Amino acid sequence: MTSVTHAGSPEIATVRKPHSGRTWYPYLLIAPSMLTLVVVSLIPFIYAIYLSFHEAKFGRVKDFIWFENYGALLSDPRFWNSIGTAVTFVAIAVPIEFMLGLAGAMVLNQNVKGRSILIPLLFMPAMMAPIVVGLLWKIMLAGSWGFISFNVFERFGLLQETSIFASPDLALYALIFVDIWQWTPFMMLAFFAGLQALPLAPYRAAAVDGAGPFQIFFHLTLPMMTPLLAVIGLLRFIDAFKVFDTIYILTGGGPGTSTETPSILANKMTFEFWNIGEASALAVLVWIAFFIFCNVFYQVAKKRLNAF
Amino acid sequence: MKSRFLSLAAGLAASAALIPGSLVAPAVHAEDSFYKKAAQPYTGTTIRVLDEITPLQETLAKIVPEFEKETGIKVEYELLNHFEVINKGQADMLSGRGFYDAVMLHNFQLGPMLSAEAILPIDKLVADPKLSNPDLNTADFIQQPYKTAAFTNGKQYSFINWNYNQVYWTRADLIGNEAEKTAFKAKYGYDLAPAKTIEQMRDIAEFFTRKKGEKLAGETLQSDFYGIVLEGIKGGSTFPALWNNFMKNYGGDIIDAKGKPIFDSPENVAALKMWAELWKFAPPGIAEYSLVDVPTVMGNGIAAQSIAWSDFVLGIDKPGVSPLAGKFVYGPVPAKAGREGQRHAEAEPSVTVITEASRNPEATFIFLQWLTDRKQQDKLIEMGKGGVPIRESAWALDAIKSNPNPSLFAAMQSTLEVATAKPKMPKFYELYDALSGVAQEVGLGRISPEDGARKGQAEMLKICEECLL
Repeated sequence: MTSVTHAGSPEIATVRKPHSGRTWYPYLLIAPSMLTLVVVSLIPFIYAIYLSFHEAKFGRVKDFIWFENYGALLSDPRFWNSIGTAVTFVAIAVPIEFMLGLAGAMVLNQNVKGRSILIPLLFMPAMMAPIVVGLLWKIMLAGSWGFISFNVFERFGLLQETSIFASPDLALYALIFVDIWQWTPFMMLAFFAGLQALPLAPYRAAAVDGAGPFQIFFHLTLPMMTPLLAVIGLLRFIDAFKVFDTIYILTGGGPGTSTETPSILANKMTFEFWNIGEASALAVLVWIAFFIFCNVFYQVAKKRLNAF
Repeated sequence: MKSRFLSLAAGLAASAALIPGSLVAPAVHAEDSFYKKAAQPYTGTTIRVLDEITPLQETLAKIVPEFEKETGIKVEYELLNHFEVINKGQADMLSGRGFYDAVMLHNFQLGPMLSAEAILPIDKLVADPKLSNPDLNTADFIQQPYKTAAFTNGKQYSFINWNYNQVYWTRADLIGNEAEKTAFKAKYGYDLAPAKTIEQMRDIAEFFTRKKGEKLAGETLQSDFYGIVLEGIKGGSTFPALWNNFMKNYGGDIIDAKGKPIFDSPENVAALKMWAELWKFAPPGIAEYSLVDVPTVMGNGIAAQSIAWSDFVLGIDKPGVSPLAGKFVYGPVPAKAGREGQRHAEAEPSVTVITEASRNPEATFIFLQWLTDRKQQDKLIEMGKGGVPIRESAWALDAIKSNPNPSLFAAMQSTLEVATAKPKMPKFYELYDALSGVAQEVGLGRISPEDGARKGQAEMLKICEECLL
């Protein structure tokens, strides 16, 4: 290895020269991940765009039909119902997970007893495969024979006329509850990691100045945590909007279409109706909506919140 | 001594020549030799067959190696669960990849798969004397499921492989309880017995629906008890059961002979009314119950009666599986009172088809014949200690005749007498999804039966105006 003694020495020039000559070097380093992205994401996505402009049913790509699939989708109340369901799901689940996660992280940050045991336990729901989470809650809340349904609801005379997942009014809220159960601990741990990484000097200064806990939280902790909160919040938002496995296991989108999200609808269109053209149009529309939202969020977070 | 031996040998030879060939060489041997001979050009070939995993197929998987030994054709017999076999099988067939040479299809899949031209017609193979076993005896197949599933518009696409069927299922210990019988007769004016009509099924459902703390057959209930449990999930076989066990028994249907939607007929409205009525006596979770949950609920002893798939019943009514094993009794799917002569029952005759993209259609065809051959079918029933027959001759087998549960097999036979495959509808899945939703909404009381019928008709018309292939 070449040692660098001081600026301007001939040794530095000999070190820099090969790097400046090898412009391909950084590209080589990111090539494996880029290649993976292109193969597993970009090519299928471009193919989905191609399919969305074609009549593609039963695995056969037929005529180019311009925007017919998009038109059919946008005029289908079921599509709008799925968007509404996903928005309701995200609008309730993510803020609760966010607030509970942050509150929990603040508590964890206080050196609570048994923290070393609690932290691995908190990872458990997030480590479970969503399909396992679905089955677990099915066993808990299934009508009549579910552990909670039988021992709590039936024993205390609750939900006599229906069960949670059989009720079009309650099923979505039960799914939101399951999502909160699964992802709040993850948020908590992510925020806790952020809190642990904050510098201590500003807190010492604030203590010297006599700042109260609320002032410290709103004027120190929150601003310093904003980049992390923004990133985690955005990722959770995207993930929650795409939720599939737990809904698929617990309700399959029903009763009726009361818990049918765009992911469930797209799966149904593709693998049950084999209407691949319209399902591709749905995927593209959702992607466009996300692209716009994420860009706006990125710009706002960058300028106003000093994130990214 | 030598001359005596020679004369004995000559006598035996002469006797053998006079005895009919069938007695000397049983039919089984003739069939064996047919498959061996027919398979000669294909020895060493590997075929891939996709089937559904149930106890029936698990038993069959033990028999399949005998085909390999007999013919030299290697069979990769893959078993997947219900949903996977549909998704993976269809995906392979529709892609034209030809990974599988044969795929098991539930009869409702036939419309979409035929319209996509993904199934190979087997008429030419059946007509080929080198490939077609003259002793297969298709006349022995239970005819209505076979004819309606295997043939479409004059072409043959398969034989018959699985006769899944639904039966009426109730609790003998409750139905036969003297105190319950007296109370039932006092309330309804007729004897308590397994329901023969839908109306009786409704009365039994109402009669046995009781709250925790009330008495049931002399015992105080520790939890609520329900008069009936039915499948109510959106998906599964909720809608086919409503269609065949209720609507058709009421004289309705979802399409007419030309395939035009007739969902809003008065007969269907009446059937939907009964359907909604029965949900009042079912556990609160009925809208989330699948074909798996229904037998579980019956096995757990919290409902008095059900209509369920007989192959699932076989898995529950076993010592060690359900505490009520041996206390159940079965019957034909109840008919509408006054229409017993035109009864219907839900069944799912399923077939294994050769995929259009198969590279080994001849070897696969030989295997499919071998599977449905009487020898293999008899063995399947005997090894499985019962099962779901596809051949009429199977009803006479010891495993069925001497089965400890004779009412179950009598009920199956009754269902299969009237069972038909579903009409071949290219847009079956869209129709099914839409009408499942309607069935659920009516059952849950979200919409009235009349509105449900109107909604179903409108949904159907959005999907197809002529729904048949």
